[in-house]
Amino acid sequence: MNPVLELRHLSKSFGQFEAVRDVSLSVAEGEFLTLLGASGSGKTTTLRLIAGLEMPTSGTIHFAGADITDVPPTHRDMRLVFQDFALFPNLSVYDNVAFGLRLKISRARFPRGEIDQRVKRYVELVHLGDQLHKMPHQLSGGQKQRVALARALVTEPRVVLFDEPLGSLDASLRKAMQVEIKRMHRDLGRTFIYVTHDQDEAMTMSDKVAVMQHSQLLQLATPEEIYRHPSSAAVARFIGAANILDGEVETASAGESLIRLQGGGALRAATPPGGLGAGARVQVMMRAEHFVFDRADAGPDINWLSGRVMERLFLGRSMEYQVRIGHSQETISLLDQRQQSVPVARDGALEFGIHPGDVRVLAE
Amino acid sequence: MWFWLAPPLAWFGVFMILPYCLLLYYSAGSVDYMTFKPGMSAANFIRLVTTEPYLGVLLKSAKLGAIAALGSAILAYPLAFCLAFHTRSERRKFQIYLLVIVPWWASYLVKAYAWKTILGTEGIINQALLALRIIDHPITSLIYNQTSVALVLIYIFTPFAVLSIYASLERIPASLIEAATNLGASSWETFYRIIWPLSIPGVIAGAIITFSLSFGDFVAPALVGGADAVMISNIVINLLGVAFDWPMAAAIGIVVIALGLSLISLSSHLEEKGAVRL
Repeated sequence: MNPVLELRHLSKSFGQFEAVRDVSLSVAEGEFLTLLGASGSGKTTTLRLIAGLEMPTSGTIHFAGADITDVPPTHRDMRLVFQDFALFPNLSVYDNVAFGLRLKISRARFPRGEIDQRVKRYVELVHLGDQLHKMPHQLSGGQKQRVALARALVTEPRVVLFDEPLGSLDASLRKAMQVEIKRMHRDLGRTFIYVTHDQDEAMTMSDKVAVMQHSQLLQLATPEEIYRHPSSAAVARFIGAANILDGEVETASAGESLIRLQGGGALRAATPPGGLGAGARVQVMMRAEHFVFDRADAGPDINWLSGRVMERLFLGRSMEYQVRIGHSQETISLLDQRQQSVPVARDGALEFGIHPGDVRVLAE
Repeated sequence: MWFWLAPPLAWFGVFMILPYCLLLYYSAGSVDYMTFKPGMSAANFIRLVTTEPYLGVLLKSAKLGAIAALGSAILAYPLAFCLAFHTRSERRKFQIYLLVIVPWWASYLVKAYAWKTILGTEGIINQALLALRIIDHPITSLIYNQTSVALVLIYIFTPFAVLSIYASLERIPASLIEAATNLGASSWETFYRIIWPLSIPGVIAGAIITFSLSFGDFVAPALVGGADAVMISNIVINLLGVAFDWPMAAAIGIVVIALGLSLISLSSHLEEKGAVRL
């Protein structure tokens, strides 16, 4: 089946600065894709390229099979929800939402008689039915965001683009809106492309996540895939607390390999599909949540290490330790979520274990 | 605190309050040949709005003020629009801005005189047309009429309108334009539905102040107005000099000040009410 949107080797430079470098991806119809990255990673520029608000320096964009690289933004069937809402201050909620339907370009698709019921339907959908005649400055941040959403959805575009829409809302409102947007995606069945720097947001809302850094696409996969099998240390560092240590392969076999850590100690790790060469320099990643602390409870397979506690943080449900292994200068984070460990004070020795299957060997 | 407020208050009192009170005092009186007779009548005010030449001149001044306001708004809008939306580099914006502002700093008198040298019978236009043999005799109707006054007033006040309109256009966030474009609006629709409505406060503010200043202007009609374009301030000068009717002059002064003040407060009231919070 044809992907609804495809980017092929898309690049965009502003003078000397390369904002987007050779990004290729495809989006299936009805998918919820999130572009995840820090500020300056190129995710917003990529979104703007998709919308047509910027023209690419090289590469092409394909929409439902057709090349739309040169199509102006007014003629792309994609609506954008802006970070600052971009509501028209001189128009009421009703008129803001009706704006797209009243334009010359929409005359054919939306007969005048239908405009009223469409506007009302989408304003109801975002639970603002009783605010139809309010002006934007009379609305709260959350309400403005919902108007912006209704305005984008009312023309029933094939793709809806979101540019960090929840960035300016407070935490509890943000959570509520995330649920709303996810629900809307399910109910309306349209393709959503979402840009954010918040990894929790990306992980909970999306079908697929595209991790971007330094203008490049690092990995495009389901949230689970990115979490369990990050394609590189850069991606791993992005999601969750990933502890990454340097090491060297001591012995390698089809199932399991022994990695000697640079700072001291050794770990048995599951051999990645590509295999490992003895003596190869690698990086291992261990998620903070995967450590175990109770020898009695743990299985026989567990790697056991010990380290010195540099910092101990009480997080309510869990205890976080920042630990140094051997003579390594780096600290790794360990999360004890089941109160298995006997609380160790700073500078004390802590024993912890990790299953070889949870020790991820990464390509550099 | 009063110690610090005293000097400005004193200044304000002596140079503003006192003169206005004197003006009011004079306007209520009358004149008998060369002697001032204080009184308490509104006769001067009534005369002002009922008899010629006063009524006619009042209306003519209002007409020219309105033309100046409209003309400068029309000229200023495209310039302000270009400045706000079509200049890419900050340097270019600054250069154009300077081009508009710097002439403004030059003396009004000098600029009005310059128009005399352009429009006069021995002025540049006539000399050029004569040299090109398009005409045989110089055109005298280019100057000393209402058109030349309107022209000079528009020339003088357009920079002000540019500033006012530019300020309101500049405040429009780029994301609004992008949102309109994203929804499918053509350039014209974006202008007509979003940009223009949001710039109206700036246009009106500029127009109202241009009107207030043009209405009471005396340099333009004095230099390029001739007999046909006598405005209310020229009458005041006559009344203070040759005609010697200070009470009448004072009455006119009060009316002009009152008109100006009420227009400006109307302007700021409209701006508050109509101004959309961006």
